[in-house]
Amino acid sequence: MELTETKKRLIFSAALCVIFFLLLVRFAYIQLYKGEEFLRASEENRIRSIDIEPPRGLIIDRYGTILVDNRPAYALYAAPADLSANDSAYSILASALKTTRPALREWVRKNNRGNFIPIKIERQLDFTTLSLLQERRLDLPSLDFRAESRRSYPAGVRAPHLFGYLSEISESELKQWREKGYEAGDLIGKKGLERRYETDLRGTKGRWHRQADALGRIIGDLTATDNSLFQNVAPIPGKNLLVSIDASLQLHLEKVMAGRRGGAVVLNCKNGEVIALVSKPDYDIELFSRPIPSSLWNQLANDPDKPLYDRMVQSVYPPGSTFKMVLLFAGLEKGLIDPEERVFCPGYYRFGTRAFGCWKKGGHGAVNMLQGLEQSCDVYFYRMGLKVGLKHWADYARLFGFGELTGIDLIGESAGLVPDEEYLDRRYGKNKWSKGLILNVVIGQGDVLTTPLQMAYFAMNIANEGNSFRPHVKRGTQDPLTGAEEFDQPDSVRIAGIRPETYALVKRGMYLVVHGANATGRAAQVPGILAAGKTGTAENPHGESHAWFIGFAPFEDPQIAYCVFVENGGGGGAVAAPIAKGIISLLLNENKLVPGTKRFADAGFER
Amino acid sequence: MFEGTEEKLRDLDKIIAVCIFILVAAGLMAIYSVTTAVHTPEILKDNFAKQILWFTIGIMIASAVVMTPMKFFHTYAYWFYGIGIVLLILVLFVGPVKGAHRWFVLGSMRLQPSEIAKIATILALARFAASEGVDLRRFKDVAIMFAIIAVPALLIVKQPDLGTAIVFFSLAIPMLFWAGLSPFIIFILTTPIITLVASFHIVSFFIAMALIIGTLFWLRKRLWIILAVFLLNVTVGVVTPKVWEGMHDYQRDRILTFVGVDEDPRGTGYQVNQAKVAIGSGGFWGKGWLHGTQTKLRFLPEQHTDFIFTVIGEEFGFFGVTMIMAVFLTLLLRALLIAGSAKSKFMALVVAGCVTALSVHVIINIGMCVGVMPVTGIPLPFLSYGGSALWTNMVIVGLILNAGVRRFQYL
Repeated sequence: MELTETKKRLIFSAALCVIFFLLLVRFAYIQLYKGEEFLRASEENRIRSIDIEPPRGLIIDRYGTILVDNRPAYALYAAPADLSANDSAYSILASALKTTRPALREWVRKNNRGNFIPIKIERQLDFTTLSLLQERRLDLPSLDFRAESRRSYPAGVRAPHLFGYLSEISESELKQWREKGYEAGDLIGKKGLERRYETDLRGTKGRWHRQADALGRIIGDLTATDNSLFQNVAPIPGKNLLVSIDASLQLHLEKVMAGRRGGAVVLNCKNGEVIALVSKPDYDIELFSRPIPSSLWNQLANDPDKPLYDRMVQSVYPPGSTFKMVLLFAGLEKGLIDPEERVFCPGYYRFGTRAFGCWKKGGHGAVNMLQGLEQSCDVYFYRMGLKVGLKHWADYARLFGFGELTGIDLIGESAGLVPDEEYLDRRYGKNKWSKGLILNVVIGQGDVLTTPLQMAYFAMNIANEGNSFRPHVKRGTQDPLTGAEEFDQPDSVRIAGIRPETYALVKRGMYLVVHGANATGRAAQVPGILAAGKTGTAENPHGESHAWFIGFAPFEDPQIAYCVFVENGGGGGAVAAPIAKGIISLLLNENKLVPGTKRFADAGFER
Repeated sequence: MFEGTEEKLRDLDKIIAVCIFILVAAGLMAIYSVTTAVHTPEILKDNFAKQILWFTIGIMIASAVVMTPMKFFHTYAYWFYGIGIVLLILVLFVGPVKGAHRWFVLGSMRLQPSEIAKIATILALARFAASEGVDLRRFKDVAIMFAIIAVPALLIVKQPDLGTAIVFFSLAIPMLFWAGLSPFIIFILTTPIITLVASFHIVSFFIAMALIIGTLFWLRKRLWIILAVFLLNVTVGVVTPKVWEGMHDYQRDRILTFVGVDEDPRGTGYQVNQAKVAIGSGGFWGKGWLHGTQTKLRFLPEQHTDFIFTVIGEEFGFFGVTMIMAVFLTLLLRALLIAGSAKSKFMALVVAGCVTALSVHVIINIGMCVGVMPVTGIPLPFLSYGGSALWTNMVIVGLILNAGVRRFQYL
């Protein structure tokens, strides 16, 4: 069977046509059907996206003093593909960064978002490492050093609890924050204002696209005609946080409290701003501006003085006599206390089989309400406590916000505890607790627990006679580029149902605490300024009493309210009141202002 | 030798000539694009100019071949073949270049004897098959045909250069077909190869078996022949995977290396993938001449030689690919027209062999760029940069045009 030449030609031609057609089908599949995908792949091949960290917002005090600033530091970046392309890259890096090759590989594997996208290998390189790596750049051509900011504290205010610090985002945080554009290795605010206002302070990352060749060498920037998928985006700097802190007062209080445990909270009565918030002992916040070694962390976490805790906001204590006004409000409002009624204090009060002592062993003699408060006579309050009863007392305590959060814009606030019948039943068993417990709680002992912040808030609420404000540290934000400021409206708090006459009476008593003939808080007197306050000396089973002083000034038109607290400090009048005096004189007495700051009342006090 | 030149030039197949110019021009554009990429090594920068020079020389070579009477090639076919074999043997004794004994290095030039042997083998096959008394129904003559191919092919395997050896082996079937071997015998000869490849996957194996049986029934062969062919194929299909699995890893690696699967230093995966990315990203119209980013940024090695078609794919898109393939097909079909109309059996067979060699190069090279053929280092005729390959192809074109001019002669 011999085929004709024509037939052979046709068969041969047909075979070629079929093969060429099949190849063309393959091209159609790759170029037309999968074209987009491969286009994207070719773009990803050549384009190196570089995230640009936005400068983080500064924290600026009420007079414009920069409390938290940025200073340049260097971070090391490298693309996974470049590291894998060079056999010795991991070894060189591991030895320079004092880590191990497997650890480094694991880090790169975990954070790989594409072989050609540089990832952060190490942040805030120290100078030695930086120069070491720079020397070896010939071996590691693809390393990239990028400026990033590191926090600094130029004003010398190192209120670590207030500011908080920055740290690398943890895996669990990443899950929650990823959709807001966070990636592994990013810094995020931990604690304090850095955390609370993370979204304001952080800004938005920019993205810079560069073109790289097959070996990872950067060829240049993308031109305008290039793919719109990869437009460069400028970073948006974080907003500056304008806080109500007065740096000079803060520094003053940090100095006064140095070496002690405790602190002070000073509030602006006109709007609830926190003018100072000091908690001691603290820790050197500068140490936290770099990745902290775990040894330091463990040391801080295990310190018996608990420097990591913000005592003003997170810790609760029995408030002692500073809590006595609660009973007066309850009694006066319920008509159960007659201000003129006198109680004889022999130095103790017998209830059932027990004798409850007054702080003054010799007794106060006969005291009326104002005298009782002025001299902080415990016996007077025992008697009135029994008259008013636990339920009313607890109601009024809660009315002033005890037992719940003040809502301050800081992280980790504690609510404290107002014991009522329900609570006592729960804790001790129904009817298992003595009615005598009321005697303890009305003088701020026993089960009642508050934070120093709540006590300052209490003083402000009394000063403002019920028309008050939520404590807050943030006044507003400032655009770092335009300087445009945007202020928040203070959050009003209304404490309803207390008559002005009641406030007037209680405030009168608090005035006497400072200025009366037998004033327990006379150490808070500042010549030329009338002030009101209340001392507290809270006994505690673990040692020396806690010293408290709360108050407000000036008496006629309260501008500031404050709480001073010294843990195991001793007597409130002797230890805490003099610190309050310092606060008043520094803020309100023109002659004693720290040089260089404007007079308090001039500086947006009545904003 | 040169009598009646004017008349012959009139008979020159101008379509084929135009096709060659188009293909070389497209190759030059792609080579130019590659040389303007970033960080181009100095040594590549003058490739564009050099390729023009090679082509100019190539035109002269082709002209010389066209003007040489076919009788000359017929007379000296076995001599050429012998020289080719000698060169293939000699090259095995010179020092290896890039790990293979493929080239004679003469100064800056590299002579690849397998190129000479390729043409010589086509001529020898044509001469033998066209000889008086050769009957391909006889086993002996078919065996001689295979031997003519096998000797140079095995020498090339020894170099090693499997890609080129495959080109040699692939000459067999079309040449035998054109020489008049029964299509059924060709079918029986090819089925085990198909089965061998198909046997690595159960589905493709069954499809291959079904096709084979279907064809056998369609050809209405006797039952015992059908059974024998079928059993042969099933045996191949069943044994191959078993043998493969029974091998040690290093043995498999050797075979894969032998087939040329891992010729590139960054892993075949990388190269084929980048080739697909380059071609795929071209889309329909391509990124435009000199605007291919894969090309510009040198994501593919050997883009001016073996992977030149990726430049076409990336910068001129599916449109450009279709055009180039259409030109190739036009060239090959025109050449087959010559083969079909040649009065001399020798001429027809020479052209059929030339068409086969060209098409195998085109199919393997283009298939490699889109991942359907192994990466074996076969250049794309007329487009890839390189003097000796271009000249070989110009000789092949010269032979085709020669046969075209003299198709009414009986040698």
